[in-house]
Amino acid sequence: MRKLLPDLCLVAAMPLLVYSVHRVFLETPNERQMGTAFKIFFFHVPMGWICMLMAVVCGIAAGVQLRRRSTMGAAVALAAAEMGFVTGLGVLLTGPIWGNATWGTPWTGDARQVTTALLWLVIVAYLLLRHYGPRSSDRLAAALAIFGAVNVPIIYYAVKLWKTMHPSTGVVASLPPEMWASFWPALSGLLLCCLGLFGLRIRQLVLAEELDVAWVQAQDRA
Amino acid sequence: MNELNAPTTTPQPAAPTTAQPAQDPAYGPAVGLSLKEKEQVRQLEGIAAEKTARDYQHIVLAYGVLWALFAGYGIFLWRRSARLRADMNDLRRTLDRHPPGP
Amino acid sequence: MRVLRQALLLLRSELRQELRDFELLLTASFFTVVLLAMFYLSFASLQSKAHLAAIPGLMWLTIAFVGVLTLTRVFDREREADTLRALLAAPVERLAIYFAKAAMTLAVLMLCCMVLVPGLWLMFPAGAAFAEQPLATALLALLGCGGYVAIGALFAAGLATGAGKNTLLFIILYPLTTPVLMYALVTTRALLDHHPDLPSYLGQMAALDLILVSIAALLFETVLVGSGARSTSPKGQVPRTLSREPSA
Repeated sequence: MRKLLPDLCLVAAMPLLVYSVHRVFLETPNERQMGTAFKIFFFHVPMGWICMLMAVVCGIAAGVQLRRRSTMGAAVALAAAEMGFVTGLGVLLTGPIWGNATWGTPWTGDARQVTTALLWLVIVAYLLLRHYGPRSSDRLAAALAIFGAVNVPIIYYAVKLWKTMHPSTGVVASLPPEMWASFWPALSGLLLCCLGLFGLRIRQLVLAEELDVAWVQAQDRA
Repeated sequence: MNELNAPTTTPQPAAPTTAQPAQDPAYGPAVGLSLKEKEQVRQLEGIAAEKTARDYQHIVLAYGVLWALFAGYGIFLWRRSARLRADMNDLRRTLDRHPPGP
Repeated sequence: MRVLRQALLLLRSELRQELRDFELLLTASFFTVVLLAMFYLSFASLQSKAHLAAIPGLMWLTIAFVGVLTLTRVFDREREADTLRALLAAPVERLAIYFAKAAMTLAVLMLCCMVLVPGLWLMFPAGAAFAEQPLATALLALLGCGGYVAIGALFAAGLATGAGKNTLLFIILYPLTTPVLMYALVTTRALLDHHPDLPSYLGQMAALDLILVSIAALLFETVLVGSGARSTSPKGQVPRTLSREPSA
């Protein structure tokens, strides 16, 4: 049952995503000030939340990897970093599209926008180190992931402080209740989809590691 | 009654009524009759329609980007799986060639 | 106490080595002067109001670039002579190695700040506040460079132990040190503006430095030599790490 969990997540995500798109476009009223472009919000914000979640998961898994020399920890950390990369890129691309439609400027310098961009850079650095670093760099990459996870609240607070020097040009109003009803299905669908892909990637990485060990044993025998 | 007595007052044109409901339901009160107002309303509707069209372009772009990213990652996972399956088949063949000893 | 004593001994050895030829000091200072010249050429024609906004960025960008150069050189010496391995094998607390290297890098950066801050003040008159508040400026430089070095020493050491590629240090260090540099930016701007919240910002920077040094110190030994925990691979084999997947 545990092995099928990623596939089940993906199967459950599909109807939920279809329903949430239907709800967002056909049953949610337009936002007064931002108009139709506000529909982007319903997938943009969940992507941001999932990116932050994956950064924290990556940091925790990297801690387990360092402490216990665990291959599962390494697999979870890499899979979380990849999912964080995809969702972070989604946020950084859809945010300017929404900003351009609503405020006429792609980059508003909003604290959350800058925080996500900096966090995404840390995730990319981690992935580059894992893929191009020397053999001993796995521990270093794990340390980078831990620092990255610890940096999530620090970056946000630092950016808010930095914003006192650069006032923002646009403010997102708080969401009225009828829009929250459309937000949760979108969040759930996207989260299930991401968790499914995340689980599949972990499975692949663990299998790759086990194949490596099996190859070494087979070659010893030969 | 003296028919030769002409009415002393000339009939005044009826004042435009905006608050009173029409007697016939097919006709509503006439408002915005001035050309200037009509032009202004048409202009505003045009701006709103332009914004909606532009917004839809942005929505299509944003949703397209999202789905492209997820599709791209899905393809990446699928190709990795294919590579792992090929590696597993190679391993199976190697083990068949050199079975484990007693 | 033992860690502190060993760290001081290692630091003394580093300083003795540096005082033989002043290689690190001279190259870092010269690089600072070159950057100052480039910034002057780029921004001198701007209005002084723009200088006020630009000076914090110029200062901390210089520290970021000189910092990587210094860290790379501090650990390259060990790698060239293969003394880092000997140091790790010796009965020395790993934490002492971290503190000694970090202190050495911090010393070099502080000396570069002694060139950088007066240079900025001379080139851009808006930097006069540095001269008016020397203690605050010194504390700001110490805290900003300290936070940067706390993170940098850990990753430079990690790259030095393997067949580390130095270019990776740039990739790792700049994203991670952005919060520290942002805090330093805001505090520098507060100093230049004579902002009443300056002591509060300096306090926050000190707290941030403490957090970063603690985390780096906790991770240092594990990153360099690994933890002592048992591996979880089957049949007790040391698992190959997941840095490479099998090619088709």
